[in-house]
Amino acid sequence: MQPLLAIVKLTWKAAFRYRLFVAVAALLIGSVVLLPLLIKDDGTARGFSQILLTYTLSVIILLLGIATIWLSCGVLARDIEDCQIQMVAVKPIPRWQIWLGKWLGVVLLNTALLAVSGGAVYGLLMYRAGKLPAKERQTLVAEILVARGSLKEKPFDVKSAVDRYLAERIQGADTNGMDFRYERVMLERQARAQMEVVPPNSIRSWKLPISSIDPVLGLDRFHVRFRFYGADTNSLKEHAGEWLVGSGQNSIRSNPLPLAANTFHEVPVNVAYLGAGKKLSDLLDSEGRLVIQYRNSGESSVVFPIEDGLEVLYREGGFALNFARGLLIILFWLSLLAALGLAASSYMTFPVACFCSIGILIVVFSSGTLSSSVSEGTIMGMDHETGEPIAHSFDTAMLPVFTVLLKVINLAQDFSPVDSLSTGRSITWGSLAQAFAQIVLLLGGLLAVCGMWLFQRRELATAQSNQ
Amino acid sequence: MTALEQVQATNPEVSAIDDRENVVAVRGLTKVFKDFWGRPKARAVDNVDFEIKRGEVFGLLGPNGSGKSTTVKMLLGLLYPTKGHIEVFGKSPRDVQTKQRIGYLPEESYLYRYLNSEETLDFFGNLFSIDAKDRQNRAEQLIEMVGLNTARTRTVGEFSKGMQRRIGLAQALINDPDLIILDEPTSGLDPIGCREIKDLIIALAKRGKTIILSSHLLADVEDVCDRVVIYYGGKIQAIGTLKELLSERETLRITTPTLSREATEKVLATIRADIGNGEVRVDNPTQNLESYFLDVVKRAREASAETSGATSGHRVAAYLRGDDAGSAADATAKVLDRLTASKPPAVPAPSVPAASQSAVDSLKLAALGKAEPAKPAEQPKVAAKPAVDLSKANEKLSGLLGGKSDH
Repeated sequence: MQPLLAIVKLTWKAAFRYRLFVAVAALLIGSVVLLPLLIKDDGTARGFSQILLTYTLSVIILLLGIATIWLSCGVLARDIEDCQIQMVAVKPIPRWQIWLGKWLGVVLLNTALLAVSGGAVYGLLMYRAGKLPAKERQTLVAEILVARGSLKEKPFDVKSAVDRYLAERIQGADTNGMDFRYERVMLERQARAQMEVVPPNSIRSWKLPISSIDPVLGLDRFHVRFRFYGADTNSLKEHAGEWLVGSGQNSIRSNPLPLAANTFHEVPVNVAYLGAGKKLSDLLDSEGRLVIQYRNSGESSVVFPIEDGLEVLYREGGFALNFARGLLIILFWLSLLAALGLAASSYMTFPVACFCSIGILIVVFSSGTLSSSVSEGTIMGMDHETGEPIAHSFDTAMLPVFTVLLKVINLAQDFSPVDSLSTGRSITWGSLAQAFAQIVLLLGGLLAVCGMWLFQRRELATAQSNQ
Repeated sequence: MTALEQVQATNPEVSAIDDRENVVAVRGLTKVFKDFWGRPKARAVDNVDFEIKRGEVFGLLGPNGSGKSTTVKMLLGLLYPTKGHIEVFGKSPRDVQTKQRIGYLPEESYLYRYLNSEETLDFFGNLFSIDAKDRQNRAEQLIEMVGLNTARTRTVGEFSKGMQRRIGLAQALINDPDLIILDEPTSGLDPIGCREIKDLIIALAKRGKTIILSSHLLADVEDVCDRVVIYYGGKIQAIGTLKELLSERETLRITTPTLSREATEKVLATIRADIGNGEVRVDNPTQNLESYFLDVVKRAREASAETSGATSGHRVAAYLRGDDAGSAADATAKVLDRLTASKPPAVPAPSVPAASQSAVDSLKLAALGKAEPAKPAEQPKVAAKPAVDLSKANEKLSGLLGGKSDH
């Protein structure tokens, strides 16, 4: 343990003596403080806070990510190139401990830098919130500076619906000459339209199994979050609609609300509107579900995409702890980057290790392209005239690679602390533990094993007297 | 028959040395460097065999590129042999626990430039899991010993090459190693520093430490090594004790106090009568340049100014002398005793036969005597006249053993 800690301490000393820590900390704090002066928001405290959180946390991730790759590649590759590792490797410390000590040193540095910059963001947010009028502050505390749980309807299974419709259609019919592929496309469009499109004066219902969440039953207010699109995508006009929460006599009805399309809205619901002594459980139907209905009182149809769904957001906890959990997930990402940099530098020189690590990061950021290739079944894209994928012989080789890559990347990308924090969503202890297991233990562990193995096998000197 | 076999066949001292335990054993060691595609590029070490016994000062000699450093790096587990077998203390050089007993000074300063002397020793002490108090204690003694007292808070990056060698030597000794591998230890040092290093090597060997000295400075090797191996082209060209390798058995040298012309003629006539037409040469022995230089500097020091660089080394670290708990005065006396006694001091490992230790000690004393060639004949009498020899040894090792008044 003593040798391991010595390596950790050495990494810290290097960061301080070369003024890396001070430089990165100054850069982070400067960005956090200056960024809010440069960014534009929608003029509301809610909008400003969302943008502030999104931009500052993204900048922190970017700066610390680059610093982590540079540092983790440097602490090992430079030691090997400058031969200092020879002085360490001839001492009674296993090589895997040297590797682990370097990783721990970088991770602890990141922890300190993240704590400093995260603390600055938190302090700035609280300072700005404290300056707001009471009503706006209340809104901010209810929607952003909070940890809210989310409840959604069970996702609509389009494929099963298409199968069912197709089975009904071909039952007893003559299927000779039927283009099944075309039929399926048509039926899918039909199924989606049934679920998504709400014509004028029509109603769309969502039934959420809210009784399964016990703590919610004791709460008296929540938010309904949704997004819709107008049928006329070129129109910027607002769409009027009425919301009904609950069923039968115990329901809360809103006045027609004119809302803009293409953006997320949050409608607050307070059980107190039902009357004195009423509870959330009074809103539920006989099966314990919370029924929410939307009536399109406008003149054109609106579309509620299945993928977005409709959410009920309810308070689960305070912002401070949620913010800390969000920072921890960011730290897990940085730890993974540190493992990546060290694994690369276990075998490569400093510039090559940096180049490879950044290359891998670029692939990770391109996961959207990978995802669309996998979902479309081709790497060449779709033919917009026929709607068919452009088949290519590369597909056979590349699609399996893309699929595996995507699965690996998603292990780390499944978590989105910045989105969660900027929308006031809860990052649960469970998701934090899952993030730790997937990002640090699984992915980081794999990289660590590879890096340690390479480092163990590597000859740390050459024939030259100074290498 | 190899050079080693020839030496072993003709010299009984070798067999005396062989009785001791092997610290390093190398068999058929070969190292071939390959290119990116795995094709052989250079055969740096070619089928090398040797053994190093406990308490030996073993020299690796050879021109640049002969394979010395490659051998040293393989002994340390930094390079892996292509073929052959290495054992250090009976185990693989990559065995982590074995490294607990090894100290290494590389040819260049590979220390962390942003650490100062204290931090450097603290860091390496931690790697040996030495507890904080002991670490601090040893660091203090080592810094004092290598003469960096005035530069203890300066970072290594600010050091001159000589100062870097000194702190490098200190880190190599922080764990009180049983095997010390020194690669060009005197490189970059001034003559005084060189002398101190050589005296230190001798003092450490006296304690039963095994020392491998890789150098192409022949004078260094000659001064301190018991046995040497000479490399060329990755192969061993010669191996044996210096006496075996250097003595000219066909000639004889007699040194006497100055004789009158008549007495000289009489002696020469006797010799000529015995050898016939063989060459007989009479001359005055000369002091070597190192001894002369040290003498000049010693006199100059009487008026010396303060220096911000390295000073001459002071007292050998107490734990290296094996008397950490004793008083400073006692410790100095013990070191002097050891350096001057004909019988070796008690060594930690009980397995070493007394006879073999004695053989090594005589070599040390012989080596010590070379530093003062004006009185070579007095060396064997040291044990009989401890008071006289104490002062002489103290004079010779003044930079090393403390009690200096000229700093």
